[in-house]
Amino acid sequence: VIAVTSGLGLAVALLSGAGLAYEVLLIRVFAIEQFHHFAAMAISIAMLGFGLSGTAVAFADPAAERARQWLIRSSAAAAPLLAASPLLARTIPLDAARIPWDPGQWIRLAALYLTLAAPFTAVSLAMLLAIRLALTRPGGLYGATFLGSAAGSVLTIMALMLMPADRAVFLPACAAAAGVFLVTRRPGPVLWSLAGAGLALAGLVGAAPELRVNPYKELPRVAAFPEARRVADRHGPLGWVAAMDAPAFRYAPGLSLQYGGAFPRQAGLFVDGEAVGAVSDLSGEAGEFVRWLPAALPFALAPRRVAVLGTDGGLGLEIALGHGADSVLAVELYPGIVELARRLAPPASPSPFADPRVRVAIGDARAILNRETGPFDLVTIGGGAGVGGLHALSEDFAHTSEAYQLYLARLAPGGTLAVTQGISLPPRAAVRSILTVAGAVRRIGGKAVDRGLIVAHSWSTVTVLARPGGFDADDVRALQAWTESRGVDLDWYPGVDTAALHPVNVLGSPDLILAATAATRSAEAAAAFADGYPFTVRPASDARPYPQHFLPAGTTLEMLRQDRGALLPFAEWGPIAAAAAVVQAAVLGGLCILLPAFARRGRRPPLGRWARLVGYFGLIGFAYMGAEIAAIQQLQLLLGHPVYAVAGLLALLLSASGLGAIWSDRQPDRHGAPVAALLGLTLVACALWLLALVEALLPASFWWRTLAGLVCLAPVGFLMGTPFAWGLRRLTREGDGSVGWAWASNAFASVVAAPLATLVAMERGSPAVLGLAAAAYLMAAALYHRAAGYPPA
Amino acid sequence: MGPGQADRTAAERHEMVRQQIVALGVSDTATLRAMRTVPRHEFVPAEVRRQAYGDHPLPIGYGQTISQPYMVAFMTELVRPRRGMRVLEVGTGSGYQAAVLAEAGATVFTVEIIGALADSAGERLRRLGYTGVSVRHADGHAGWPEAAPFDAVIVTAAAGYVPPALVDQLEPGGRLVIPVGSIYGVQNLVLVEKGAQGRISTRTLLPVRFVPLVSGLR
Repeated sequence: VIAVTSGLGLAVALLSGAGLAYEVLLIRVFAIEQFHHFAAMAISIAMLGFGLSGTAVAFADPAAERARQWLIRSSAAAAPLLAASPLLARTIPLDAARIPWDPGQWIRLAALYLTLAAPFTAVSLAMLLAIRLALTRPGGLYGATFLGSAAGSVLTIMALMLMPADRAVFLPACAAAAGVFLVTRRPGPVLWSLAGAGLALAGLVGAAPELRVNPYKELPRVAAFPEARRVADRHGPLGWVAAMDAPAFRYAPGLSLQYGGAFPRQAGLFVDGEAVGAVSDLSGEAGEFVRWLPAALPFALAPRRVAVLGTDGGLGLEIALGHGADSVLAVELYPGIVELARRLAPPASPSPFADPRVRVAIGDARAILNRETGPFDLVTIGGGAGVGGLHALSEDFAHTSEAYQLYLARLAPGGTLAVTQGISLPPRAAVRSILTVAGAVRRIGGKAVDRGLIVAHSWSTVTVLARPGGFDADDVRALQAWTESRGVDLDWYPGVDTAALHPVNVLGSPDLILAATAATRSAEAAAAFADGYPFTVRPASDARPYPQHFLPAGTTLEMLRQDRGALLPFAEWGPIAAAAAVVQAAVLGGLCILLPAFARRGRRPPLGRWARLVGYFGLIGFAYMGAEIAAIQQLQLLLGHPVYAVAGLLALLLSASGLGAIWSDRQPDRHGAPVAALLGLTLVACALWLLALVEALLPASFWWRTLAGLVCLAPVGFLMGTPFAWGLRRLTREGDGSVGWAWASNAFASVVAAPLATLVAMERGSPAVLGLAAAAYLMAAALYHRAAGYPPA
Repeated sequence: MGPGQADRTAAERHEMVRQQIVALGVSDTATLRAMRTVPRHEFVPAEVRRQAYGDHPLPIGYGQTISQPYMVAFMTELVRPRRGMRVLEVGTGSGYQAAVLAEAGATVFTVEIIGALADSAGERLRRLGYTGVSVRHADGHAGWPEAAPFDAVIVTAAAGYVPPALVDQLEPGGRLVIPVGSIYGVQNLVLVEKGAQGRISTRTLLPVRFVPLVSGLR
């Protein structure tokens, strides 16, 4: 006999934690095996397993004893499925790049979805059936699912610090196996769980096959070079950093075509299989090499105190040191890059990270420059990973308008901000940089913007320089001498006669000059230019931190319509994958709600009540996910570190929701509608003021900011945990499968909401997502109020 | 191949040139003549031969492709082919681009990193009578120093940067065409011109996608 005890609560928490941990770890694994956007899509579809469990319960509507049997079986199945799923997934040879035209890939994709969805279905079924047993007080067990998930999110990050993602992915199976002992001691289920745990342990010690890195990434390509060998790895929550030594590997973004000197021997550095820099042997003649990279342009102005945001494995520092900088602040997100760069530096060419003039700061550039006040003669930053639209969905607070204002504020009088990035045709990122930099100079009250902006381009890069106090004639002469000797063109500088320019590197259109002209004329002219440009080039902001998103939705649709997807290679894949996830989840979720409802019309609640039920739980599922995504996006800016902040905030939100759910058990039914309405109004306030509050708090110390994050998120999370528990309490008294419908509609709506919230944030900003979540909670409150008195006690 | 089939492929080539190449602005006479002459279907695997004259690239094995006809014509026109000019091609693939250049009158030195492709392309070019093409199995980043200098260099695979050796091996007044950019994703097709005094200038022409230029022999 299964009783609703603290043991069952702990079992539910373990299963829930295992489910969340598996989700997070799968995203890490898929980020290596595929690309980030595909990972998010695949996992979101797998999460449909949560909804499927609800559908199964709604359809079968098992009586109490049968429900107990199901609970035992699904708990027992969780561990083996969690252990087998990652193994099976590795055997499916999916090539996601071929999905648009190869029907065979669709079959593999479907197989992958099923493989991934199975453990989520088992975990979710066990949680749902346990909650169903707690007839009058479901909040306690529902709260336990939140608390388990919160613990799962934190423990996952800790696990990723200790072991690679492809091993850590087997840990959730162990947690699930432990949960079974709290549910039953019957030999059958226990043996199944032990088998799952055994399989997981084998995976944990490395018996599983190695991950297959996506063959389109740079790492496998470089691995095919003669004499190539992987010399070191570092694993962490941020990503997998690998170093590859290959004599034929070369990393020289935009190297001047005038350079005829020696090329340094390099070891490539890769994060999740994508090249991010190189460790270079700059001994002897190869030391000259760094003076011929376009990122060296601002060093023609002889800065002494330099901040390098993003180190390219040390190349950025070598440029600064090679030009005689006295002090360099090296800001690097990945600790593994610094560690490997130090370790792999050849004896004849010591690592720049070990140079006494260099101070290394690990973390997010924005957070570090919030506390490092400088002042600097030069702040230099790369343009981010804007390759082929693969990163269009990547949140990046380092290239927003507010970030550039911060960098400018950290400059000494006469200091320069430099942004260098690869060029696209037609220019997109470069045009956005010009508009963003000029706008930032204007916002911080710089003198005439036309004197404070310089734009230069090489055959493959664009560099934008900004100085709030303006550049003088000597500066311009120094830059002209540098660019002329390197075959680089100056497109804009104070006093430029654009008609007299004769570029060495012809781009085919004068977009850079037009952008600089508009950007320096006035804010209105810059906005008008951006509006008339064929790509989305308005500056990214903290509310819409997507600096690599350039294609309007209409353009993407037009590309999809082209014969054989002729233009698809030029599309932005992140938004396409997110949109595909929305459509797939909406269709599959809709079918999984509607078909059983039709098939079981005689045994489901009357249509009106059924629709209200599905509407209520669907709305709060949608709202919870939307509010979670938007609030965490804004608050991670407050805490600074993209992974640890998200994990911490997620744990806080889930814990607060768990406590809210438990608290709701002790409150009368009539409080449900007012609390949901209060939640909606709180989110309206968040939509209006949270981001402004975050930006105002950025200069505060870390502990004050952490406290502020806690104060902001905890009450909201607490309230967010109540509507589901309250709604559920009404339903558990019924024997018509209503709990299953509630669970299914809530889960399916959450799955649709996750990618949809990302798309809305990209197009309209995170405050808009919070606004939508608020509206959904307010509608849910109205539905709850309308259904007051149901069911009769 | 019977006369009927030869007529059919000739007709397909003419149609390909008219619809996919001339219509998009390629006008160089030698290039168009070469595109009408070289039997593209001989350069693709049997299983995709029926699609040989379609407006798209095709797989040729080893993860490599034969470029879309327009791209071959566009890059050929860019190097201004003429009789007797020496052209270095990096990325032989099936040998189609080399054959087009040879048909346009050039002496072609072509380098392929994948041994099996270099062998099959060499055999194919010999069989089809393209004696002015020399094929070498080598790392394209180093060019072909013994045969340098070249009037033109065509790189038919994406590189992360312009290999200095290729610029070095370019004759003053010569032209180098290369897709440059990330290994995956979108690259830019760049035309590098070396002036009479050795001064380098570039023109970024259009966004493209090529298979990567892989260093190292296989």
